[in-house]
Amino acid sequence: MAKKLADILDEKGMPISFQYGGQSPEEPVDREVKKSPTPRAKALLDLYFDTYSSATIEFPYWYTRRWEELEGEVPIVRRAEALKAAFSHLTPTIWPGELLVMGKAHYYRGSFPMPWLSEGYFMAKEDELYQAALARGAASADEVTKWGTGGGNVTKSFGNVVSIAGKFGIRQEEVPALLKLARAWVGKSVDDIGHKWEMKVPEYQVKENIMRSVVCMFDSGFTLPQGREVINYYYPLQYGFDRLIEMAEELRDKVAGKADGDGVCGMDRLYFYEAVKLVLEGIQTWILNYAKEAKRLASVTEEPVQKKEYEELADRLEWIAHKQPRTFLEALQLTYTIHIAVLNEDCISGMSPGRIGQILWPWFEQDMAAGRLDEKTALEYLELYRVKFTCIDCFASMGVVGGVLSGNTFNHLCVGGLTKDGESAANDLEMLILEAGITCATPQPTLGVLYDEKLPEAFLLKAIECVKTGTGYPAWMNNQTAMNFLLRHYGPEGMTVEEARAWSVGGCLETSAGCWKELTLNGKSYWVPGGCGQPTSVGVHFISLPKILELVLFNGYDHRTKLQVFPAHNKKLETYEELFEQVKDYFAQAVDVLAKCNNIQHDIWRKQNMCVFNSMLKPDCLDKGLHIGQLGYRYNATFNIETEANINLVNSLAALKKLVYEEKKYTLDQMREAMLANFGFKSAEEVGSFSLASQEKREDVGDKYDDIHADCLKAPKYGNDDPYVDSILAEWEDWFCRMCYDYESLYGKPFYACQISVSTHGPMGAATMATPDGRLGGTTFADGSMSAYPGTDRNGAYALFTSATVWDHSMSQNSQLNLKVHPSAIRGLEGSRKLLELTRAYLRRGAFHIQYNVVDSKILRDAQKNPEKYRDLMVRVAGFTQYWVEIGKAIQDEVIARTEYLQV
Amino acid sequence: MAQVVKIDAKHMDCRNFCPVDVVKGICRKSGSKVIIDSPVCPKFEQLPKCKNCAHYTPSPTEEHIGTCGAAESKPWTPAELIAVTCENYQPA
Repeated sequence: MAKKLADILDEKGMPISFQYGGQSPEEPVDREVKKSPTPRAKALLDLYFDTYSSATIEFPYWYTRRWEELEGEVPIVRRAEALKAAFSHLTPTIWPGELLVMGKAHYYRGSFPMPWLSEGYFMAKEDELYQAALARGAASADEVTKWGTGGGNVTKSFGNVVSIAGKFGIRQEEVPALLKLARAWVGKSVDDIGHKWEMKVPEYQVKENIMRSVVCMFDSGFTLPQGREVINYYYPLQYGFDRLIEMAEELRDKVAGKADGDGVCGMDRLYFYEAVKLVLEGIQTWILNYAKEAKRLASVTEEPVQKKEYEELADRLEWIAHKQPRTFLEALQLTYTIHIAVLNEDCISGMSPGRIGQILWPWFEQDMAAGRLDEKTALEYLELYRVKFTCIDCFASMGVVGGVLSGNTFNHLCVGGLTKDGESAANDLEMLILEAGITCATPQPTLGVLYDEKLPEAFLLKAIECVKTGTGYPAWMNNQTAMNFLLRHYGPEGMTVEEARAWSVGGCLETSAGCWKELTLNGKSYWVPGGCGQPTSVGVHFISLPKILELVLFNGYDHRTKLQVFPAHNKKLETYEELFEQVKDYFAQAVDVLAKCNNIQHDIWRKQNMCVFNSMLKPDCLDKGLHIGQLGYRYNATFNIETEANINLVNSLAALKKLVYEEKKYTLDQMREAMLANFGFKSAEEVGSFSLASQEKREDVGDKYDDIHADCLKAPKYGNDDPYVDSILAEWEDWFCRMCYDYESLYGKPFYACQISVSTHGPMGAATMATPDGRLGGTTFADGSMSAYPGTDRNGAYALFTSATVWDHSMSQNSQLNLKVHPSAIRGLEGSRKLLELTRAYLRRGAFHIQYNVVDSKILRDAQKNPEKYRDLMVRVAGFTQYWVEIGKAIQDEVIARTEYLQV
Repeated sequence: MAQVVKIDAKHMDCRNFCPVDVVKGICRKSGSKVIIDSPVCPKFEQLPKCKNCAHYTPSPTEEHIGTCGAAESKPWTPAELIAVTCENYQPA
């Protein structure tokens, strides 16, 4: 029987699942903190667990129908009319027990494709989908009750359900309409038009090669043109929709026919304000359709409690469709409605609510003071809010939804930080938000603490209690480091220290610019934070650094695809310095062509598919009369360059430096040969798994590569306070963070560095051969950007922190460190304090982010074997929390293999 | 007056059906989960859909597709499109 990597590493004293600080007990140790949601929230969460991710064509049908009727109209008005038609015709569904309502589509976990962005997937799969639809017969009970691995993902077609992209189910009756809609957008979608124009970039073929060889993971222009940003709920919360429509009409009339000194965009303001009015009317109708449905349900419901709830719901919806909310519940409902409306306007992942506990504070404070609300009721509302956010699905292509996002939608809710005046912004509502994160543990919205030394101890310990549930949240972000980044980067656009304090996290861990707006409620004023910057999901995403190194070593040639990806450099790479310089050179070539092509895609997006609703929400579009694509937002320098697996690059460079260039134990050719031979292991394809633990030794090569593999594994590794390797990280970070400023987005603004992995370390690892750090071909990379490669951080957390902070984190939008802590290490109040001190120790060194997986790896192993027993188990992957059963096995194995800390 | 139940009616055609996903929903009458494709009961009430509308003409060539006669441009429309929010819906 073939030997497995796990056994071989065990023999070498380098176990794949390393435990630091002791050995975990034989029996699995459960998480210490466990609470339950209210029966209402539990019932709705249980319904979620029993729900398939379901797609419908309702929204795209009405959008496309209206769009086609308006051939020749001004594009932004045509789009607004199409959006209005789509919102106005969405079927309202209210599920029993809901107090917070509305959704993307009429299914509980519903979503829909946007063929105007990209229809290519459906056209490529046209025959397959047709055949799948035709082959559907009557569904048997057995077929429809196959749950388990995959959770709510429709991984394959069954019954009358056709699987799309292994994730979404669609009724077979809707497939012909879906394909008809896709055909309507052929040659007209952002994808198609953008592609036509990006091919004009002289180096386009390099871009094509880069994408095929998975040096880069995805094009944001037509996959996720917006996201990883912070929404702004201020205008509807302050004015209500009726007044906003009036304002749009007044402003439209004021600017009609006038350029007011702006010869390029001045005249466009007329069309923008008209578009705003149209979209607001559509959203208003959408809300009122739910109110009508609530009334209808009240009229047919006999049970008095439920009947009254429907009546009250109808009243709330009718009110917020027109006016400023009166109560906390109305305000909470309105923010959720706005959120969904933005997500329906465009394909978005990582639209974060931001600091909702501070935004909704006025209603909470006044309701509590007036006795209209108590903490128990507020907690239930917040639990329901969590369930509703968890029901949000993002319909994007397979590579994006599965490979990049692991199905996650990254609605990051932050607590803490500072007020406009520099005092702690934490409040009692945020304590309840943390409590709801404990009692109703769900992946969305994920939580984050904007850590500042001014935050009260009780608040921080509440956040630690939440960490100890093992949900993977809250993440801990360094408020001061983020503000330094923001001031450095957005200073040229006018950011002040005061405004930097309004920041929050968009998506996983993307530092996003915010601003303060004055909200008045019943005559009292409050300064509330909200987003006012462009998406940060845009730019060059993600560049696989180990793949760049591989191409450097093989003269630009990719052995997997047999493509000459980059022009051959034809260098002998005789010195380590020459090698490192070539890595930088290929990286820069990739960035250059990707940035150009990406700029074109986004330019087409802003011309064809500009957002209207999200634009009007964010300062200062409404004031300027300009949308996002015309620099209507306050901060526009948001395009970034995102890298993947910097730690595998650094470890590999360290191995090459030591073994090839300094000790000269092996030649570069010997290293290349070993890499090509996958260090004597079978290929991941051969094994049928891209997971670390599953890799098997070839039986026909003997021990030929054992020594070189062992030396590569034993070479200095990041995460151990070893200056040999940490200095390479410092050099790389310093160069990378600075070089980003040499590139310019379509908005004429400089790029900056972004360093998170999401779940790309799985698929990008799958496309990369063995690396000089000893990692086998096809297997996952290290997660995040500051996490050690699984099992290689062997000197404790403080050594890891020293390694991670050898560079200035405020030069980058983010950094990401995930730590797996055994529940026994942080038991009781003493354990909580230790974990808080550990967190402080890292952040006080200037680090940006840390996050914990509090879990016993034995439970994860059992969950792999018995997924049906663990439908609600969640883990932190890399900047996001996801249900264990909804992530792929390679990532599951990587999480299991991470070093387990039994001592902090 | 009791409604005549169409022989091919599915739960997703019923006004009392609260859809959960592409497989099932909740019957508002019984409160229990029901499979979309399972037979309906005598309490069936027809849900407004294009295929049930007086303005709908089925396509002679395309399955599950028809034409909406209510709009001036006579656009194509999916037979299964729910029409509870359609301003032109008229029961056939």
